[in-house]
Amino acid sequence: MGRKVKDTLAKGIIYLATGITLSVLLFIVGFIFVKGIGLVNWKFLTRDYNETVSYVFVQAAEVPMSIDADNLKKENPYDARYESLIDGPIYIKSIGAAIAKVQYRNNYTEKEQFVIAYIEKNSPLLNAKDSTGKNVDIKTDDIIKRINGINLKNLTLQEAAAQIDNESGELKIKVVQPGGGVKSNIITTLYMVLLSLVIAIPLGIFGAIYLTEYAKPGKFVNTIRFAAECLSGIPSIIFGLFGMAFFVVALKFQISLLSGSLTVAIILLPVIIRSTEEALKTVPTSFREGSLALGATKLQTIFKVVLPCAVPGIATAVLLSIGRVVGESAALLLTAGTVAQIPGTFLSPGSTLTVQAYYVAKEEGNIELACAIGIVIIVIVIVLNVLSRFASDKLDVFNKK
Amino acid sequence: MDKKIKFDAKNLDLFYGDFQALKSINLNIYEKEVTAFIGPSGCGKSTFLRCLNRMNDLIESVRINGEILFDGQDINGDIDVINLRTRVGMVFQKPNPFPMSIYENIAYGPKCQGLKDKTKLDTIVQESLTKAALWEEVKNRLNKSALGLSGGQQQRLCIARTIAMQPEVILMDEPTSALDPIATAKIEDLMFKLKKDYTIIIVTHSMQQAGRISDKTAFFLMGEVVEFNETPLIFTNPADKRTEDYITGRFG
Repeated sequence: MGRKVKDTLAKGIIYLATGITLSVLLFIVGFIFVKGIGLVNWKFLTRDYNETVSYVFVQAAEVPMSIDADNLKKENPYDARYESLIDGPIYIKSIGAAIAKVQYRNNYTEKEQFVIAYIEKNSPLLNAKDSTGKNVDIKTDDIIKRINGINLKNLTLQEAAAQIDNESGELKIKVVQPGGGVKSNIITTLYMVLLSLVIAIPLGIFGAIYLTEYAKPGKFVNTIRFAAECLSGIPSIIFGLFGMAFFVVALKFQISLLSGSLTVAIILLPVIIRSTEEALKTVPTSFREGSLALGATKLQTIFKVVLPCAVPGIATAVLLSIGRVVGESAALLLTAGTVAQIPGTFLSPGSTLTVQAYYVAKEEGNIELACAIGIVIIVIVIVLNVLSRFASDKLDVFNKK
Repeated sequence: MDKKIKFDAKNLDLFYGDFQALKSINLNIYEKEVTAFIGPSGCGKSTFLRCLNRMNDLIESVRINGEILFDGQDINGDIDVINLRTRVGMVFQKPNPFPMSIYENIAYGPKCQGLKDKTKLDTIVQESLTKAALWEEVKNRLNKSALGLSGGQQQRLCIARTIAMQPEVILMDEPTSALDPIATAKIEDLMFKLKKDYTIIIVTHSMQQAGRISDKTAFFLMGEVVEFNETPLIFTNPADKRTEDYITGRFG
């Protein structure tokens, strides 16, 4: 076989490998996008996962409609992907709002519902209060279930409108604000990123400073380094088990944001220590010597000269860590739980986007929703990437000439 | 006129692990003079220079015997190293300005000593840059990064940074080896001016440079001081055969 044939063959294999890798990547991302993009919209991002049911009290009034009927038809608050219009809308004076009958496509809500299509500016609905007197924010697209104890379920739109219009005085309305969104998961994810970075980054950076600047090279340092490397290779479910046994049970933090972020912080530490160490090692010795020769102490040298030079490397570590937190699911499943809610305190549970994706795919068999969550995760990771690259460029002391 | 002895090395030995880099050095360095160390690479001249402000502390395996008296006090003993380094400044082979603004580079040393007064810092920055013959070139760009300066300017900045500490001695480790002839000439000029106020010790590979700027020259070979004398004497009438061989270019 001639050399030329061998070269061509080798070249072919290289191109083929590249091609396969690229197409697999494109296929996965494409698959997620095609499956999930149908569900992603503003409401998906801003709604809670669970629908909220509330009874509100409204003072009936006579509010004339300020727009004409044609314009009312053009009002389109319906989320085309969740629901489609069957009938209406019809304007009801007593509550100063229009309702419409829609067909829900969402799995978790009953099929046909009356939703608020339009709210007049001085509608009494805007002053709705719950039984404790707290204001309830009623928006278009909220579902009206009952009025003064009368179930609207089997009525036509006209009957329902007449029913509402007939009531007077104080109205007690059962309102359901639809769920199916990922707002709480996005917020939990951001909380988790913030909290775990706040814990892991100082620890990691100081650990790396110790290893590169203070520790005498030898068995001890090598052992620490070896341990850090081993830790970064351990699957996260092991950390999850540890977190569950230690933080959740032994320290009584319960399944919570705090347990989750502490566990993730432990997972992050080796990554941060290793990359910060590499960053510190690339800072030229001449800077350290120059600083010490000017009578600076070792600590001053580290904080005023060495660390600022290592910022781009540290930023990379932070970036990797953010990706790791956003992508972590196994450990968080065991330590932060699967409750789709905005954690009120450090000790409340909450599910991040990845856990939620796992949950809806596995427990509810809703692949589309999981893919939609996947899109949100991909976008968040890309945005955070761009942001931290931008930040590290801005902070790079070698860039400013 | 008898000048005061600034550094007095007595039977100084230095080991890197098992390797002996300096062999019983005895050397006097006088105040407000330029002393040059010459010799082939690896002869120990830089190592000796770094002993004078204890920069060898940074190297793990270094062991030192003997003493170096600085104004009569042994600097290898129990002394405040930070204080020593503020009194004995150092300029390195490669210009190493910190990646900060020109102003911050000069103000770095005084700030590390706890000086916060803005007007005092401004004065120090201006005085140091003027003494280092750099003020006119950079006065309009004090807040720009020092990395934007040319190599020669960077080295003068490093000298200015050292002057800002108002040291008694300035150690220079081949300060012009990375610079072109014009920048070298400027730095040599500068040394000439600075020797009025400071004791300067310079390590150099250029014998012409040693001849041009120094008052005394020490010739190092294999970790020993072969000859130490007035510069004109060393270059015109060396006492030792090896010195003569080196300066006439027969080896090294």
